[in-house]
Amino acid sequence: MAFEQINHKVVSTAVAPGREVLARRGAMLAYTGDVGFSPVHTGPGGIGGLAGRAVAGEHVSMMVAQGSGTVYYGFAGLYVTIIELDGSAPLSVEADRLVAHDAALQSTVVFLGEGGGLRGMVRGAVSGQGLFTTQLHGVGSVAVMSHGGTIALPVRSGEPTTVDPQAYVGHVGNVEAKVSLNASWRDAVGRGSGEAVQLKMSGSGTVYVQASEQKIR
Amino acid sequence: MQSFRLNGSRVLEVELRGDAVRAASGAMIAYTGDVAFKSAGMGGGDGIRAAIKRRATGESVSLMRCSGKGTVWFAKDAMEIVVIDLAGDTLKVESEQLLVVSDSLRTDVAFAGLRGASSGQGLFTTTVTGSGPLALLSAGGPPIALEVSPQYPLVVDPQAFVASRGQLNQTFVTDVSWRNLVGEGSGEAFSLRFDGTGVVYIQPEER
Amino acid sequence: MTLPSTPFNPATLPDNDNVPGNHYAYCRRLDGQLFMQTGRMIAYYPAPGSSGIRFEPLSSATITGFVAERFSAPLYTRDWVVATGSGHLLLGDRGYDINSYTLEEGNLTLRAANLLAFDSTLELKQSIVPGFLTLIGTGTFLASSSGPVIFAEPPIRVDPQALVGWADCPSPSHHFDARWMTGFLGVAGGMLGVVSGEERQFDFTGAGTVLLQSSEHAVDDPHLLKQLESQVGTLAVPGLTRLQSVIQSRLSAEQRR
Repeated sequence: MAFEQINHKVVSTAVAPGREVLARRGAMLAYTGDVGFSPVHTGPGGIGGLAGRAVAGEHVSMMVAQGSGTVYYGFAGLYVTIIELDGSAPLSVEADRLVAHDAALQSTVVFLGEGGGLRGMVRGAVSGQGLFTTQLHGVGSVAVMSHGGTIALPVRSGEPTTVDPQAYVGHVGNVEAKVSLNASWRDAVGRGSGEAVQLKMSGSGTVYVQASEQKIR
Repeated sequence: MQSFRLNGSRVLEVELRGDAVRAASGAMIAYTGDVAFKSAGMGGGDGIRAAIKRRATGESVSLMRCSGKGTVWFAKDAMEIVVIDLAGDTLKVESEQLLVVSDSLRTDVAFAGLRGASSGQGLFTTTVTGSGPLALLSAGGPPIALEVSPQYPLVVDPQAFVASRGQLNQTFVTDVSWRNLVGEGSGEAFSLRFDGTGVVYIQPEER
Repeated sequence: MTLPSTPFNPATLPDNDNVPGNHYAYCRRLDGQLFMQTGRMIAYYPAPGSSGIRFEPLSSATITGFVAERFSAPLYTRDWVVATGSGHLLLGDRGYDINSYTLEEGNLTLRAANLLAFDSTLELKQSIVPGFLTLIGTGTFLASSSGPVIFAEPPIRVDPQALVGWADCPSPSHHFDARWMTGFLGVAGGMLGVVSGEERQFDFTGAGTVLLQSSEHAVDDPHLLKQLESQVGTLAVPGLTRLQSVIQSRLSAEQRR
């Protein structure tokens, strides 16, 4: 079932038996019809895998909308972008940025800096939020939020795109994301080591960034 | 001339071909290619005199110099961006509204007037002079360009002021009426009045 | 210098409309009196040859009794002024979309923070719903919303944070999600004093129009605070103790973020 863009900050979607929607808690703005909302914890181990999720640092609880009707979603006046998944590649997106998605999509949690020995540093560096992303697999719609909207930047093979982690929203395609350090940038920004962390995206696909360095609270 | 291109209304795309731009520190959101970032300090690369003047006045613009070959994307706080091409003239701009300036442009500090007749405290703005493009930020929506002429003097909320150009006489007016309008505990208790001939850019959101 | 657009002046600005190409700024032609919320004006042109525009608090002696009587929302008095004179006023509000509305022998209730200005022909009252104001009569007013305002018809249930206002229909009642409230997490949530839109909504029924926006940033509404404070006085010791524990757990939840 598709999401409909009502305006740049609000989307709507139909809910029906067998067509449930998962959404960030607090993202429901209004609904018509007979719809109920209850909390779920998705992640490794599936629904109810609360422990796995907490370990992975993903703490955003999701609400499932069940019943039949229309639900409007938005969050804190932020911009909402709809991304359609055709099943060919998963979408990686920071859990904090997920507004809503089809419940039929499978989600897993991945850590971007894995294997680099950077984990401890990165967690502390990027305002304690870490660079965990949720991966969504399957065919369906995803609504993600950002400050001021997202722009899609191409990632071409042999020509990596480097992204400010604060501006990173998500990525699709055959893309490898690596946390890297850039000393020259640290010098330029001069705001402590945290700002020197960058996300280097290589392979081929698309990376979504927002026009701001503000993270979602 | 360097090419400053907008990607949407809030992201600026700059193609570097071995040349350089100066940008607000931390405003780079992504890049490809071989680009180096170097602090251009508080003086914005204009030497020590400008830096000292800035420190003394509180008007500061912390810039970084981006040079090399590649594409750099800039943005700040999801603000709208407007690109202006200077042709040898001068733009007065609120320093925090500056996103990127071409390396061919010079930034400096200028005396902007006194803050209220009684306090005698001076106010300063950043000036940009030369030939080349620059990108300004506008909070809350696209900037609004307003004409000032002898027939049409203009009163502006200092918190909405972005930039100005032309032969303008700028005065800081402190009056009871404006203080009523600003409300308690927020905003400046004075308004900015422009007389003369020129253009004033304002933004729809107060800083 | 190449400019992105031709600058506006009083001859080219619209008399009562959004600044062209800008949903976030509104130009109001003033010729007389207008109620304005403080802190929402970004610039103005006084009319040529006029004595300019005066902004006076509602308590000012020079505002006629008739005008002052139009405003009966004591909690909000200090946030409003009356603008008198002639010229063009430019208003902006936190980057919110601004729209002009016309009421004809009607009434409309709005979130107080989203009401920017209204004609002195309209009457303003405090709504029974905390944080909202009701306009009654005939005239125009300016209101803002986070993103374009969405018009919906009852029956609809709305997260209180996403509500801009409503017209013609009865005042809303609270709706609590039964599944949520009776579930384990709901009980835990209730104990923690956590309230999100999913467990509590405003329920609109009847005929009318409901105005929606994306939910607001969590901001402190000083008037809501005053209203809550004024009601604390009606509580006895058990109620106060309960309130204290709710506030404490809420505070520690905020500090953990």
